[in-house]
Amino acid sequence: MNCRECKDHLYEYLDRELTPAVAEEIRQHIAECPPCGESFDFEKVFLTFVRARCRAHGASPELRRRILDELLDE
Amino acid sequence: MTPPVPPSSSSPPPPPASPAADAEKRASFEREALIHLDSLYRVALRLTANPAEADDLVQETMLKAYRAWHQFERGTNAKGWLLTILRHAFINEYRRRTRHPETVDIDAIEPFSVFEEVQDEDPQGTFFDRIVDDEVLRAIDTLPEQFRETVVLSDVEGMSYEEIARVLEVPVGTVKSRLFRARRLLQKKLYEYAVGMGYIKGNAT
Repeated sequence: MNCRECKDHLYEYLDRELTPAVAEEIRQHIAECPPCGESFDFEKVFLTFVRARCRAHGASPELRRRILDELLDE
Repeated sequence: MTPPVPPSSSSPPPPPASPAADAEKRASFEREALIHLDSLYRVALRLTANPAEADDLVQETMLKAYRAWHQFERGTNAKGWLLTILRHAFINEYRRRTRHPETVDIDAIEPFSVFEEVQDEDPQGTFFDRIVDDEVLRAIDTLPEQFRETVVLSDVEGMSYEEIARVLEVPVGTVKSRLFRARRLLQKKLYEYAVGMGYIKGNAT
């Protein structure tokens, strides 16, 4: 696998969407290719950061109550 | 696997009601559907960008889902089924009022590599740590709608490409390419914000 092919699969690799065989080829490439390894690490940091920043908000207790009341009326 | 079926007017009528059947319906709905309330709200909030409208959209979705509950195939992905209903409700009713569908050609947006900009100064991306939650959410809200919904389902809700493809009703390949462009665009916006705030010098081009 070359750098170009490796980068094409970057997010699929980080999202664990690849078959084990392809994922293994990528793992080998980034272990041997420092520039690709660094860029994969950077993208991994970015995804972890985005996910951590977005988890907080959920539905309010008022919304939950409104929905439960409405279902009772159905 | 069959795709989730959103309720439609041609659907079979619900089975005749009895008090015991009503109680059972309500209990199973609370068990299998209401547990996804937080997920529905987070997606609704990013679609509408307005907490009051997100509440209304979620309430409407839950009501539609409850009325169509007999159509839901037990044991399949309830979250995907609910999100499909939510997305249809948003497209049909809310988007018309709140936001206009984009006229941008998202395929023409060139993926930009922030890593190439910062690899000498901050290759480990430590500048991201200084960007707060609200700023990330604001940046997501400025993405074109097709990018926004894909990023939210993937990075906020942690859904697989296959599940996202089913909710958005597009091929898996489209999910992949949108996700790639959407994340790169989000990264670019956050990088520019970080440069503006002085968190990182960046490449003065």
